[in-house]
Amino acid sequence: MADLRPILLVEDNPRDLELTLAALAKCQLANDIVVARDGAEALDYLDSKGTYKDRPPGDPAVVLLDLKLPKVDGLQVLEKVKKDPQQRQIPVVMLTSSREERDLVKSYELGVNAFVVKPVDFNAFFEAIQDLGMFWAVLNEPPPRARLKEA
Amino acid sequence: MDHLLPNLDACATEPIRVPGAIQPYGALLVVGFADLDVLHRSANVAELVGLDLKPGDRLSVFPDLADVCDQTRRWLGGDDYVLLCVVRIGGRDVQLSAHRSEQGVVLEFESPPREEDVSLAALYPRLRDFLDRISRASDVSAIAEEAVREVRALTRFDRVLLYSFDDKGDGTVLAEDGNGVLPSYLGLRFPASDIPPQARDLYRLNRIRLIADCDYQPVPIEPAVSPLDGTLLDLSRAALRSVSPVHLEYMRNMGTATSMSISILIDGELWGLISGHSRAPMIVNAQLRTACDILGQIVSLQIGSKLQAISSAERLELKSVETRLLGKLTVAPSYQRGLAGHPQLWMRLANASGAAVVVQDNVLTAGETPPERAIRELAKWLFDEQHDLLATASLASMWGGGEAIAQTASGVLAVSISQIRPDYIIWFRPEVVRTIEWGGDPTKPALGESGRLHPRKSFDMWKQQVRLHALPWTSAEVDNAASFRASIQTLVLRLAEERAELTDRLEAANKELESFSYSISHDLRAPFRHIVGFAELLADKEKHLDAKSQHYVQTIKEAALAAGDLVDDLLHFSQLGRSQLATASVDMNKLVKEVLHTLEPETAGRNIVWKIDALPHGYGDASMLRQVLQNLLHNAIKYSKPRDPAIISVRGTEDDRMTNYTVADNGVGFEMAYVGKLFGVFQRLHRAEDFEGTGIGLALVKRIVERHGGWIGAKGEPGVGAEFTFALPRDPDKLKRKTTLG
Repeated sequence: MADLRPILLVEDNPRDLELTLAALAKCQLANDIVVARDGAEALDYLDSKGTYKDRPPGDPAVVLLDLKLPKVDGLQVLEKVKKDPQQRQIPVVMLTSSREERDLVKSYELGVNAFVVKPVDFNAFFEAIQDLGMFWAVLNEPPPRARLKEA
Repeated sequence: MDHLLPNLDACATEPIRVPGAIQPYGALLVVGFADLDVLHRSANVAELVGLDLKPGDRLSVFPDLADVCDQTRRWLGGDDYVLLCVVRIGGRDVQLSAHRSEQGVVLEFESPPREEDVSLAALYPRLRDFLDRISRASDVSAIAEEAVREVRALTRFDRVLLYSFDDKGDGTVLAEDGNGVLPSYLGLRFPASDIPPQARDLYRLNRIRLIADCDYQPVPIEPAVSPLDGTLLDLSRAALRSVSPVHLEYMRNMGTATSMSISILIDGELWGLISGHSRAPMIVNAQLRTACDILGQIVSLQIGSKLQAISSAERLELKSVETRLLGKLTVAPSYQRGLAGHPQLWMRLANASGAAVVVQDNVLTAGETPPERAIRELAKWLFDEQHDLLATASLASMWGGGEAIAQTASGVLAVSISQIRPDYIIWFRPEVVRTIEWGGDPTKPALGESGRLHPRKSFDMWKQQVRLHALPWTSAEVDNAASFRASIQTLVLRLAEERAELTDRLEAANKELESFSYSISHDLRAPFRHIVGFAELLADKEKHLDAKSQHYVQTIKEAALAAGDLVDDLLHFSQLGRSQLATASVDMNKLVKEVLHTLEPETAGRNIVWKIDALPHGYGDASMLRQVLQNLLHNAIKYSKPRDPAIISVRGTEDDRMTNYTVADNGVGFEMAYVGKLFGVFQRLHRAEDFEGTGIGLALVKRIVERHGGWIGAKGEPGVGAEFTFALPRDPDKLKRKTTLG
């Protein structure tokens, strides 16, 4: 049974956003895509605050999080999610242009679920997004506690 | 000179200041300041004064002494230090000299200059001429020559010597003028014991002293004890003072009846003596003695200023060497290396023939020095003995290890450059075997059989060979070494500060570079990704595009992809400098297998003959070494594309220190003329349409290998093939163990 909770895509670059959306569209996922344009907005969504204070309850199926973001950057968002006992089971996939070792190490230290360097080759990017979307949105079973809460 | 000490000690007990007697060539009275009443008299007073004056007599009651009283009172009322005049006593001229003492006014009476003697007034032009001559003298020995000639001309002594004392007190005859009656002592050395310390003190106090006849009968002073203070009458400054019988014996042994000494004082120290002798007894009158005293002072000033000038010139020269050397040191990687890099300046700094610097047991040398081990031991000894600065002309006399290295290091000038370690800068001078010509054997025992003090009997030349000695260091050289040490310390401090500052700046620059490449990675990659992505989307959407348009879109995509690869490679390259090496033993056979597996897409459909030998294990960072093999094998596959079959071989060797790996192919090869360009960033030897690539692969390989402390080289021939060999150092731990065992 597919998990139809939305995918939270956090991306500030409009072109990357368009390409990612195109890639996700190609996957033909049934999940809604919620787009946040910076880290602060992403946190608002996750915490149901600000613009999102009236959003339907529930955590996203997966957060696709760009590393470099205005206001609150990706690592900070990741840190907050992974330190929050209520949110840390939300899968977070880090998307980044960088192969910088320190980002990688830091992300893993903070408990990232996957780390994807956006390849220049669109096909490879498409495949990566498709894999991610399929895996986290469709295939991945949410933790039992979350399901329990839902039920 | 230790063997001479008993002599000195024995002589030092002689009561030379208070002999209780005078020489008979004059008479002496000591009178009270107020009433000029007689306190002491010499027993011969009647002979010169014509009156048998006794203690308690008032001079003023004797009409014959009216002139003496007048002159004395006038002098006492003034500021003059001494009185020198001719007085009338009972119709006769008498020479009177007077000086003040704590025990009264000392009056000395002598015969006046005879008609044929030169008067003091007539001496003045002579002294002025003399001053002119010695002002023009080029050096100290020229001054000395002039001095002995002038003194002999004035006094008509048989022989006049000028000798200077060294730091041990030994005197060397610098100049001599004589008529041949007495033997020549020119160049001879007289031991310090010839003049005991208390006599030296008197030479400072009383600059001129005449012993008119070595066989004189001393004339007693009556009473011997001063009624004013109850002590023996002090005759330190009296011209007529009777001298030690030991000294008279010395004169008799020397064959001189008369001796006169004029002190040469420089900066208050007894630098030397002008000494006049005659075989037969003779008297030098008080006026002439005064002239000689003035002459002695002129000589003292001239020699002093000459020495000062020589020393100043030497200091100036040494200082300029120091300044030049310091200039070199400020741009050297370390001051030790700077010193070793300028051996001539370093040695000239102290006029040495060798130099060494010891820092943390590391020794750097210049010129002629002892072996390094001996230098280390010397530094350790200097440190143990807490020598902050040592200047010796005979290391062997101070240190047991000195004799073995005497040939290069008899002279040692060492300055400490660390409070906590045996770190020193040391200058060396070689042994100079010299012959000293003594005036008689100075080592002969001074005490005779009776136990009484006897001076030396023989003044015949006695040659002594001095070994284990170098030329002594001058005070200018020693001072310059000390000043150089201070400059070095300042320099070291400044270098440390500069290094700290440089480190800070480097860290800042590194950080900047990191954030720069981070920006590149993030921001430069993105547009290429967008181009590729949107070109792809366009191609997807417009499936009906004609062949030409499809080619355009495809080209856009490929160009952007290539640019993206370039950015990736550059990033990878720059990251290499910063990332840590995770070193371990690496199975290179396994790595090659893995790499060939990943390269399968490129080898598919090709006819390649692989010749892969068993490779020795390497020591390094596995992921980086994989990159090296990947790039080399990738190149081998790429450049052997035109061959059927392509032959690619991988082989390895090892020796004691390194493991070597070679990747060879039979591809297009390259011209050896361009081998230097192979490993540069963006250097390509082939046209892009023939062989695709970013031109960074080999630069990356070289960087990785060099970060491992290894090297890489290439051989090639156009149309025949290429061969790349890289070498990696073996596990340093294993190497160490091997050395210890072996």
